[in-house]
Amino acid sequence: MQKAGAKRRFPGDDSVNEVSQSPSLLPAEFLLRIEQVTKRFSGLTALKGVSFGIRRGHIKALIGPNGAGKTTLLNVISGLSKPEEGHIYCKGHDLLTMKPHQIAGLGISRTFQLVRLFTTNHATVMDNLLMGAHLRLKPSVAKSLFMRGSIRRQEREVCEKALETLKFVGMEWAKDYSPSALSFGNKRLMEIARALMAEPDVLLLDEPASGLNDAEVEEFRELLLAIKARGLTTLLVEHNMKLVMDIADEIIVLEFGQKLAEGSADEICCDRRVIEAYLGSDYSRAGRGS
Amino acid sequence: MKKNLFIGLILLAIALCPPTLGRISPYNNTVLILVGIYIILAVSLDLLVGVAGQISVGHAAFFAIGAYTSGILTAKCEIPPLVALVCGLVLSGLVAWAIGGAVLKLKGYYLAMATLGLNAIVVKLITGFSSLTGGASGLMGIPPFNIFGISLEDHSHYYYFVWTMVVLVMSGSLALIKSPFGRALTALHSDETAASTLGIDASRYKLHAFIISSAFAGLAGSLFCHYMGFVAPSDFDISTSILLLVMLFLGGVGTIYGAALGAAFLKLLPEITYQFHDYELFAYGLILILVIIFLPRGILGVLKDSARLVMKKRVQSQPY
Repeated sequence: MQKAGAKRRFPGDDSVNEVSQSPSLLPAEFLLRIEQVTKRFSGLTALKGVSFGIRRGHIKALIGPNGAGKTTLLNVISGLSKPEEGHIYCKGHDLLTMKPHQIAGLGISRTFQLVRLFTTNHATVMDNLLMGAHLRLKPSVAKSLFMRGSIRRQEREVCEKALETLKFVGMEWAKDYSPSALSFGNKRLMEIARALMAEPDVLLLDEPASGLNDAEVEEFRELLLAIKARGLTTLLVEHNMKLVMDIADEIIVLEFGQKLAEGSADEICCDRRVIEAYLGSDYSRAGRGS
Repeated sequence: MKKNLFIGLILLAIALCPPTLGRISPYNNTVLILVGIYIILAVSLDLLVGVAGQISVGHAAFFAIGAYTSGILTAKCEIPPLVALVCGLVLSGLVAWAIGGAVLKLKGYYLAMATLGLNAIVVKLITGFSSLTGGASGLMGIPPFNIFGISLEDHSHYYYFVWTMVVLVMSGSLALIKSPFGRALTALHSDETAASTLGIDASRYKLHAFIISSAFAGLAGSLFCHYMGFVAPSDFDISTSILLLVMLFLGGVGTIYGAALGAAFLKLLPEITYQFHDYELFAYGLILILVIIFLPRGILGVLKDSARLVMKKRVQSQPY
């Protein structure tokens, strides 16, 4: 057992960090625990004392009107933005003491609201997926120059894994394509495939179904369920309510940076405050999922 | 694998052919040696700028550090040139390591300004420490290269030595960019934020690229000083750094081959334009402008497009 404040090594990096061991406000069964997180941008409070947890293997949806702080929360979890207050725990580490690449090393991968693909120097879809497997390969200058045999062996394994992942998202045909030549829906799928290549435990998806047509959303629903079947824990930021209500095990609603409600799809649908702030009375009357 | 072997053989042939085919004049030999040294410089800059996406307008600083380290150690301390060459390479890498942590936190124009400043500082230091470096009048008496007592004073011998280094640096750089390390650099170049969320430690990989790029530039500096026998601060000023960037963008960035082509083109171009006598500089400038306007993807881009076109025609002309 590690003592409080002891130096601890993080996966994916050789550096060490202090691990804060403040008393947890949420039960320990959560794989990811967000506790009293507050993030301010100058005078604007983007997140105010947000607390919730995600159970292992669950899909938790994060919904709310534009500007509610959903993407800010994802940025805070993935280390791209540091909050002023609060803690985020995963596997005994406080993520707020860690850098983004260390958080990735802990098994947290993400996608972005505006797809971010690697296109420089004629990188292909396959290259993008291999870049996603960075944590498995742990490359260095010395290894690249003097241990080319072992690198080649590792590469072969990772290439097989990349092909398997492309097949998993239904894009095995695109391996040699330039990412910029793909349709918007395929770009989104490729970004998810790249995140999966890091073999994460937690997947953070930022509006993955935005811009997709109905058929694509349906395919995407199947993919999310298949990801869940692999045992991954997902935090899904999404505006497509049909998709959210169909697949989320739990839903949390944010408004003006504060938690408005949390519960199952049925509970959220009937919550008066959520209907007023986000869903609208039409949604409530029409019934969920229609 | 076969492709790599093929490319390696071509490089080796280019490296070894000219003096083997027949005696070439000492002047042409000098031109080819300088082409080799500038290929090493341009390729090393390509690792940093083209692959890792970190703009540097001060690469000549590391060229200078390598040249002066090797020059001072051999001319003043009588250390064997081979040891001095290794010292030049290592010191360039060490300086890059020492300043890289701070400098590489900067991005875009700010990084360009910082590297520009570094170049100016190094040149100023060389000029200032005149007792050690010879100051503005230059460092004289640098002995020719020798390996374990075997002198490479003969220009054609040095030609083989320099081009062996070119082949080593190019094949090392190609191995790097095709490895997972190179892919991590490309990811950083493309999108640092997305790369960091995949576990790529941006500051570490950028620093490693900076170190290796600077060490190669130091090697080129060492090769340069032993060939010239004399170095002066003016060989390493900002115009040299800018010339290296022009070589890179002219040849095509991020491919290593492009940088080599650009360096060869710019170093050989004056051999053509000198025929224009009084209009030499005008012709040089005009050719550069025309290439940059009409070949935006660099010389390598045009070669690739032409090869693709030829292949396509060949496939179309095949009977069914």
